[in-house]
Amino acid sequence: MDTNKTPELDQLPQDLFTQAEFHEEQLEDTGFSNYSYWRSTIRTFFKSHTVKIIVALVALMAAYTIIYPMVTDLDPYTVSLSARDWNQPPSAEHLFGTDGVGRDIWARVWFGTRTSLLLSIAVAVFQVGLGVIIGALWGFYRKLDTVMFAIYNTLTNVPSTIYLVLIAYIMKPSIFTIIIALVATGWISEARWFRSRILALREVDYNIASICLKTPTRRIITKNVIPHLVSLIIMDAALTIPSSIGSEVFLSYIGVGLPADICTLGNLVNQGRSAFLVYPFQMICPTLILCFITVSFYIIGNKFADASDPKNHL
Amino acid sequence: MREKIFEAKDVVIKFNLRGKTLTAIRGASIDLYQGETLAIVGESGSGKSVFTKSFIGMLDKNGWVESGSMVMDGVDFSQYSTEKEWLQVRGKKIAMVFQDPMTSLNPVKTVGEQIREVITWHFGTDKEKAKQEAIELLRQVGIPDPELRYKQYPHQFSGGMRQRVVIATAIACRPRILICDEPTTALDVTVQAQILALIKRLQKELDMSVIYITHDLGVVANVADRVAVMYAGQIVEHGLANEIFKDARHPYTKALLQSLPQLGVRGHDLRSIKGSPPNLYKEIVGDAFAPRNPDAMKIDYLYEPPFFKVTDTHYAKTWLLCDKAAEYNRELELKNAVRSKEQPAPPIDFSNAEKLVQVKDLTVKFKLGRGEFKAVKNVTFDIHRGETLSLVGESGSGKTTIGKAILKICHSSGGEILYKGKPITGKLSNHEMTAFRKSAQMIFQDPMASLNERAKVEYIISEGLYNFHLFKHDSERKNKVAEAMRSVGLLPEYVTRFPHEFSGGQRQRIGIARALVVEPEFIVADEPISALDVSIRAQVINLLNQLKREKGFTYLFIAHDLSVVRFISDRIAVMYKGQMVELAESEELFAHPLHPYTNALLQAAPQPDPDVERDKQVVVYDPSIHDYSTDQPFWAEVLPGHFIWANNAELERYREQIQ
Repeated sequence: MDTNKTPELDQLPQDLFTQAEFHEEQLEDTGFSNYSYWRSTIRTFFKSHTVKIIVALVALMAAYTIIYPMVTDLDPYTVSLSARDWNQPPSAEHLFGTDGVGRDIWARVWFGTRTSLLLSIAVAVFQVGLGVIIGALWGFYRKLDTVMFAIYNTLTNVPSTIYLVLIAYIMKPSIFTIIIALVATGWISEARWFRSRILALREVDYNIASICLKTPTRRIITKNVIPHLVSLIIMDAALTIPSSIGSEVFLSYIGVGLPADICTLGNLVNQGRSAFLVYPFQMICPTLILCFITVSFYIIGNKFADASDPKNHL
Repeated sequence: MREKIFEAKDVVIKFNLRGKTLTAIRGASIDLYQGETLAIVGESGSGKSVFTKSFIGMLDKNGWVESGSMVMDGVDFSQYSTEKEWLQVRGKKIAMVFQDPMTSLNPVKTVGEQIREVITWHFGTDKEKAKQEAIELLRQVGIPDPELRYKQYPHQFSGGMRQRVVIATAIACRPRILICDEPTTALDVTVQAQILALIKRLQKELDMSVIYITHDLGVVANVADRVAVMYAGQIVEHGLANEIFKDARHPYTKALLQSLPQLGVRGHDLRSIKGSPPNLYKEIVGDAFAPRNPDAMKIDYLYEPPFFKVTDTHYAKTWLLCDKAAEYNRELELKNAVRSKEQPAPPIDFSNAEKLVQVKDLTVKFKLGRGEFKAVKNVTFDIHRGETLSLVGESGSGKTTIGKAILKICHSSGGEILYKGKPITGKLSNHEMTAFRKSAQMIFQDPMASLNERAKVEYIISEGLYNFHLFKHDSERKNKVAEAMRSVGLLPEYVTRFPHEFSGGQRQRIGIARALVVEPEFIVADEPISALDVSIRAQVINLLNQLKREKGFTYLFIAHDLSVVRFISDRIAVMYKGQMVELAESEELFAHPLHPYTNALLQAAPQPDPDVERDKQVVVYDPSIHDYSTDQPFWAEVLPGHFIWANNAELERYREQIQ
């Protein structure tokens, strides 16, 4: 490539054919790779336009659910005594119309989204957090195998609906109850999943090196193992959010969810259902939002899983 | 000169990698003649695989051929883009054999089906006839009972047999060129020799031209008629095998040949190539090798050299061959004459030194399905303070298991291990364990897997210092880390970087720094150089030897290649299937190899000398030659310090053999 720049052989000055200076120290500074795991993951993640749009929409929606209740003068709980305000179709005044007692559905949807999102984020944090901690212990201490597998088999072989209903029934219905009920059924599968990941990482050379250096197991877990699982943890949390919103809707639907007077997506869908045949928009509007949240978190989780795989870092 | 059947000219290949463009091949040209074997030699990243993969259109999807031509039978296929076009070339004209046989075979189809499919797909032969052809092919590649083996799945074959199947698939369409991409790297030395012999035989029978891609100069010497050396995406020198091995002209080729551990002189440093190969993201000016060449000329930094002719068959791309460099060449010769007068140091006798490690009757068993698998069988040996004992054997011979059992990373099922005279096989108190862990460390094979990617080098090296509380103030810890970095030849400033910013050789040295910072006495080095590039190996070996001299380390060096360990070991032990079969002082073992397996290993290890390699006969070790039915074998001392696993009758014979 450079050959066209090279002068004719006989024009080359003789003094170029002498020893050049040799810089030994510079040799090691090759900067072998500019690869950074997180930078590549994020770049791969945002490469697709779908992801860009969905992340923007979800961010907007999240911001809206936080800001809207603060600035709006519409109260989702105000009941109207005048029958004129009942069951109104969507209009400029009531974007999603009103329900059977004249409450504004637009306001109710956003208050409900806020509750449901907070609830599902709490479930995701606790469920994945518990799963990682217990999964790490399970993976590192062989003795736990018998006990943990017994618990795993018991919990997974009985349909989770039964626990959900049971726990929700025993305890007073509240947001806290729902969180406990969902986490109690979900943590074991998370733990099992992380255990298998950790088993694969445990025998890797750098962990053996740490054992040779007598690094305490606790530090091996926190320094050597968990940092390699962060992307999996994020992905898992993102996928837990839609499923726990779904579970909340299901619990409300069968009547053991949150008290009917609290706005949640589950309650809204359930209440809309009773009027569905006459006033379909009362169910369709909250369901659309619900679908949007579930689908977009699902896509985000999956796309992140793809992006976090170094094989896709091109 | 024979007929030229393939010509690649000025090929430039680029890749898009993480938003940047990388020039992997910077104008490489190669000719291939009918019936010859051409070896392309180069280290990882030199582009040898990419270059040859482009001949059959198998570049990864982010790569493309920017310019240049590849002509065969008057057709240029460098710009082919569709699968249909490539199918004209692949398999029929050019076929390829890859490094790892398991990844090129489909695990859920019988091997016979896979070969038959290739035949039907390309020629439209009917099933029954294709099956007969497939069986014939299996027989041709030396698979016994081909009718029976036809119906078996890949997992029922050993690594060497699988590679034979892959070769059968590759030659199914009678290609005229066979490209073998590191075909034996994943195999044991003894199996490697058989595969190389097979390819040679097939080449003659089918009148093919073969292109070998390898980094192993021993293999090159064995197979090649012509050799092309690749560096930083260019062919820098090509010529007949003898010309390259005996009269290399390019500084890189010369340095590569001189840095081989096989040529090491005991007690002296190996000639090593400093630094790492250049970064192909940047534009390279002048001779790509110049920054690593202490004898580079000023012009090497300015202009890229053209090819200069040495003989009709031998060309090299270096300014040293220019007429104007004659004077400089004379200077270099004088310099080299001084360097080459090294005498080997006499072997040191360690038998009176303290026994640092004593292994007595060690057995290690693993559960395997319902039964048991004995990875190590009743092995007994000592390691004296200050010596390097090498354990050599094929994969699965139990050598790594022994190393791990001594370090208490792996359990032991029987026998006893003593460290500094105290048994360590049982449970140790916390205090004893700390003392043991501090004094025995390990160096790993794969530099990519042995460093935690998510931690900075500073933490990686400090890990032991934290655990053993080896510093009073943080400044003391930093000093120790800096010192460790310096002693492995890296700048202390690099500690703030993450492991992925380093090359393989540098990472291996960081792994060594991590072990040496706790000032151990005993180090298990598990194949520390086999995953490294040829030019980097010498650096690491020199470092290990230097640490031994300066800090008095004792090594258990684990390797699969006898010739590599010759000059670094004081004693060598040979393992076969969990059994130690021979143990002797290093030179003694090479002078009087007694056990037939040792002989087979010695024979199989390729030497970087075409004259030695060309007429070599493959010796296959067959354990059934030992008749141990009545006369039981035992661990016997034939000569002082020379142990062997044999029975009385064999011992008798071995003694005669020595006299």
